Amino acid sequence: MASETSSGVIKQGLVLTCAKCSTKNYLDPYPFWNFSGNTKCAGCDALYAVTFVKGQQVSGPTASSGKADLLPGYAEDKTGAGITGEGKIRPAPQARPDPFTGQQKQITKSLRGKPLSGSRLKKEDLVGSRARFIADLHKT
Amino acid sequence: MADTTFPKHKVLPWPAVPIPTPDEVYAGLTDQAKEYPLSLEKQLRQSENFKKPENLTTVRVLDLSKGMIIGNWCSSMLSELGSDTIKCEPPDGDPLRWQTPFGRKEYMIKDAETGEPIGLHFLHEMRNKQSITLNLEKPEGRELLKKLAVHVDVLIENYPPGQFDAWGIGYRQLKEINPRLVYCWVGQKGQWGPSKDKPGNLDPTAQASCGFVHGTGLPKEFGGRPTRSAMWMADQVGGTSAAIGILAALLYRDKVSGKGQFIEATAAEAIIRILDYNWGWYGFDGSIRPRYGNWDLAINIYAVNPCKDGYFMVGGGHDRLWYRIWRTVGQTRPDLEDEILDDKALRVVTARLPHLRQVKTYTVLADWQKDHSRADAMHQLLAQQVASGGVNYIDEVAEDPHFKYRGHVDEIDDQLYGKVLYGTSPLLEDKAPARLKWIGRPLGYDNEEIYLKLLGLGPAEVAGLKKRGVV
Amino acid sequence: MATPDFETYCQHLFDHKTAFGKPEALKGYRVLSCTQYILGPSCAAYLAELGAEVIKIETPRRGEPMRHTTPFNEPLLYPLSRWVPEAGTGLGFFGANTNEEFVSLDFHRPEARQAMLELAAKSDVMVQNFRPGTFDRWGMGYQHFSKVNPRLIYQWLGGFGGWGPGRVRASYDILGQAMGGAFGITGEAADRGGTPSKHTIWLADYWGGMMAAVAVLAALYYRDTVSGEGCFIEYSQVHGVTRMLEYALPLYGRYGVRRERWGNWDTELCAHGIIQCGKSSYPDSKNPQEAEVGYILVTAHTDEDFKKLCGVIGGKDLATTLAKHDDRVKAENQGTVYDAIEAWAKDKTKEDVATLLDKAGILNQPVWNAKEVSENPHWKLRGAVQWIDDPIYGDLHHQGPAFKMSDTPPRLKWALKPVGTDNERVYGRLLGWTKSKLAKMEEMEVI
Repeated sequence: MASETSSGVIKQGLVLTCAKCSTKNYLDPYPFWNFSGNTKCAGCDALYAVTFVKGQQVSGPTASSGKADLLPGYAEDKTGAGITGEGKIRPAPQARPDPFTGQQKQITKSLRGKPLSGSRLKKEDLVGSRARFIADLHKT
Repeated sequence: MADTTFPKHKVLPWPAVPIPTPDEVYAGLTDQAKEYPLSLEKQLRQSENFKKPENLTTVRVLDLSKGMIIGNWCSSMLSELGSDTIKCEPPDGDPLRWQTPFGRKEYMIKDAETGEPIGLHFLHEMRNKQSITLNLEKPEGRELLKKLAVHVDVLIENYPPGQFDAWGIGYRQLKEINPRLVYCWVGQKGQWGPSKDKPGNLDPTAQASCGFVHGTGLPKEFGGRPTRSAMWMADQVGGTSAAIGILAALLYRDKVSGKGQFIEATAAEAIIRILDYNWGWYGFDGSIRPRYGNWDLAINIYAVNPCKDGYFMVGGGHDRLWYRIWRTVGQTRPDLEDEILDDKALRVVTARLPHLRQVKTYTVLADWQKDHSRADAMHQLLAQQVASGGVNYIDEVAEDPHFKYRGHVDEIDDQLYGKVLYGTSPLLEDKAPARLKWIGRPLGYDNEEIYLKLLGLGPAEVAGLKKRGVV
Repeated sequence: MATPDFETYCQHLFDHKTAFGKPEALKGYRVLSCTQYILGPSCAAYLAELGAEVIKIETPRRGEPMRHTTPFNEPLLYPLSRWVPEAGTGLGFFGANTNEEFVSLDFHRPEARQAMLELAAKSDVMVQNFRPGTFDRWGMGYQHFSKVNPRLIYQWLGGFGGWGPGRVRASYDILGQAMGGAFGITGEAADRGGTPSKHTIWLADYWGGMMAAVAVLAALYYRDTVSGEGCFIEYSQVHGVTRMLEYALPLYGRYGVRRERWGNWDTELCAHGIIQCGKSSYPDSKNPQEAEVGYILVTAHTDEDFKKLCGVIGGKDLATTLAKHDDRVKAENQGTVYDAIEAWAKDKTKEDVATLLDKAGILNQPVWNAKEVSENPHWKLRGAVQWIDDPIYGDLHHQGPAFKMSDTPPRLKWALKPVGTDNERVYGRLLGWTKSKLAKMEEMEVI
C-alpha cells in the first residue's frame, strides 16, 4: 500500500499500487529484493521502472517504456479480485497441468486407475473406519 | 604448527561472549517455575557425561569406509555412544583426510605429536575412533582383515559393489569366519539394480538421484534452479539409517538369534524415505512436487523471507498465530495489517495455501521485514508468542547463548589437536549419554596397539608389515 | 569388478517382496507414540518398520494437526475418522506414522491419564514431543512413568529442549534449519546473486526422528544386555542440525573463518558440481515441472578424469591451466570449470549429457524429479518407492524403508489409518476395557 512521506511523494513498497488503475501488484520478495528495471501492472499493462535495494524502494515507480523485465508475482484489482494469466503475472509453480481450482480435489482412483478413498464420505458409507467401497474390494 | 601468516585477522577465543550462568538464564522465575528445567539440567548436563556408563561399550566396530562421509558418520553415531571403534584406512589414508575446502592447506590442523596435517571435515567425523592402516589390495592384507573380523561386532565398508566379495572378504565369506558379525555396506545408490554405484560416485550423487536436489531452491518462476545441500547431507542421513539398522541387528543378535546379518544402507534411499509426501502425491494423480524455495506448499505462514540484515523465518499456520503475526506487523505498519485483514479470502486456513495467496502474504510480510533486523523482528514477534528466528551464519550459531548453554557447540582441548570447536552429539540421555573423547587421529596412529591387542602381532611384525606395504 | 553372481546374490537377499517371510528385529517391543507433526512421529515410525508394535495416540475425533496439512488443496484420504467421515487426512501425514495402531485419547482427562499409566506399565518405549513440562504437569512425565515401569525408555523430542535460554521456543523444522546453521550455508553463492535455501525435506524433523531412533535403540540395547533399566532421552532438532555442520565449526573456532554458500559446487572437490543443461527432457509435456530444462551432477575431480572431461567438452585450455586439482579447486577457478561445462551442455538434455559422459567413463547423475524417481526401474526394483494395497484407503504410492537387512528386514505394512481405528482392539486387549467401558469413554469423548 502506498504511503506518503513528508515530501509528499508517494512512496510505494513491494506492493505497487498502479497510479492509473489502482491495481495492487505484488512484487514478491525473492526476485524483487535487489531489482532494477521495468515491471508491468497486471491490470492495465502500464510499465513502471523501479529499483529495490534490500527490499527498500530507492527509485520509482516511474512511468517507463519498452518491455517488462520481470512481472509481478500476483495482482488484485481495485475491487480485490485476483488477476492471473499469461503475460500478466508470473506463472505459479504447479505440480501438474490442470489449473488450480480453489476447491479440495476429490478423487476415487489412484494414478493407476485403481480404487482410492480420496473423496468425502458420509457415515453410511463406512464399514468401521473404512469406506465401504474399499472394504467391498476384499469381500469374499 | 599452522601456517604462521594465516590467519591475518585476530581470532577471538571461543566463546567470544561468555556462556550465561543458570542464574542469568532463569532470572525472574519463581522457584516452582525453575524446578522443571533445572531437574532436566541435572539429568542431562554434558559436564556429567563421564561419570556415567555408555550404551555400546560391549560393541567393537571396524570402519573400512573411505572417500565418502556416510561410513564415517555411521561409525561416529556408534563411537559417540561408546563403541570401541577402529577406522581402518589404506596405507596412504582415507582420501577425505587430505581434503580441505578450496584446497587451502592453511585450513588444516597439525597434531602435536607427528605434525601430520588433517582436513577439518575428516577431523570432525573421526571422533572417538582409532586409526589403523591396512592394504586390502594385497592378499596378505586381506588375510589380516579376516583375522580382524573375528574380533569385531560390526564391519562397515563402502567399496564399489562386489569389491570385497571378489577379494574374498565380503559378507558371504566373513560370515563363515564370524557368524555374529553385523556387516554393513553403505553407498550412494546400492550394490544392485540398474543404477547401482560405480566406483567414485559421491554425494550429492544420492541427493540428485532421489528427488532432493530437484525440490530444493527457488522455483524456476523465481529465477531459481535445483540446489544441493551445503553438506553431504544424504550421506549424513544415510549413515544415520545405517546406524539404526546396525543397532537393530545387534539387538536381534544378542536377544534372539546369536547371528549377525548383512545390512545395505544407501544415502539416496534414506532421503527417499524422508522426502515428505513426494511419493504419495505422485500416486494420487501423477503430480510432480514443485520446487518451492523457502516457502511451504502445505503451510502459510511458514517461510523464510529476506529482511533488513539477512533472512528471517516466521511460523504460524493456524489462526491464533496468523492474527498475532499481523498484529505485530500492524504496530509499525497498520496499512500492511489492513491489507491482510481486509482480504476475505485469507480468513480460512486452507485458503491461504494456494501459491497466489502465498505471494500476497509474503510480499506484505517482507515489506515489513525490510525495515527490521532478525533480532528486532524476533523480539517483536516473541512478545506475541509467535515462533520466529533468523537464518544464522556460522559465527552466530557458535555464539548463540542457548546453544552454548546447552552445549550444542563445544570446544574440546584435544590431546593431539589442541582446542577444536565442534558440533556435539545431540543424543542427550540421563543414564548413558553420548560423548566426545577425542576428535581426530593421525593416520595409522594405533597400528601397534591394535595389531598387538587383537592379533598378537608385536612391533617387529608390524614394522615388517609396513615394509611390505601391507599396513 | 562385481561379479554378476554377487549382484544377483544381493538382489535376492534384499528383495523387499520376500521381507514378510523373515522375522522382525523388534518383534515383541511396544512403543507408545504420543506425538504430533513430524519429529516425534517419525522416530516411532522407524521403530514400527522394524517390527515394534507402535501405538499412535491422538486427540479424539479429529486427530493430530499433521493430518490437516497438505500442499495447496490436494486430495485427502477419507475418512479422517469414523466420527468425522466428511474430513480427510492430508499428504503431510504420509510417511511419519507407517505400520502403526491408531487410538484416540484426550490427555486432559483423568481417565486418559490413568489409561496412559497402564499402557506405560506394559511398554518398552514412550515417545512424545509436546512442549517441555506439559506431560509432567499431566502426570505422564518420565518421573511418573518410571515409577510404574523402571524399564521404560522415555524419549522426548522437540525444537530447543526443555532447559536453557531458548527452552520456551516453539519447534518448527525450518526454524531449526535456520537457527542451527544448515540453511545459511545452502544455496547459490551471494556473489552469484543467490540466496540461502531451506532443504526441501522437513529435514531437521524427519532426520531428527532417525537420530532419536538411534538413541532409543542404543538405550534398548544397553537395557537388554546390561542394565535392565530404562532412561530419559532428550532430543533437540536444532541441536541435530548443528551436528551436521562438519568443518564449518572447527574452521570458525580455530581460524575465525566463516563458511558461506557455495551453490551447486563442492568446496572440497572439483569438478564435482551440478550444472544446467540447456534443453528440457520432455519439451512436449503439459506438466510445467517437465517443461523445465534438465540438470546433472558431473563428477571428474581426479586429474585423470578431469583431463577426460576436458576432452569431451572441448576444454583444451582448462586441461592445461587447471590440470592439477589444487588449482582447479580454488574458489577463484571453480567458476571457469563449471561455466565451460554448462556452455557445452547448452544444447543438450540431461540424458544427452549423461550418455556422452558415460561413453567417456565420466561419472554423472541426472537430477531426477519426483516422477522420474517414481518411475525409475532402479528405485522400483529395490522397493525404495512402492505401490501398496492399503487395507483402509486403497491403492497408494509410498516410500519404502530407508535401509535393507538380510535377515530381519524393515518393511512397509500400511501407510496410516483414521483416528481411533484401533480403539477397541488396543484398549480391550491391553487394558481389559469391556464393550460398555469403551462405549462410555467414547460418549465422554475421553477416546
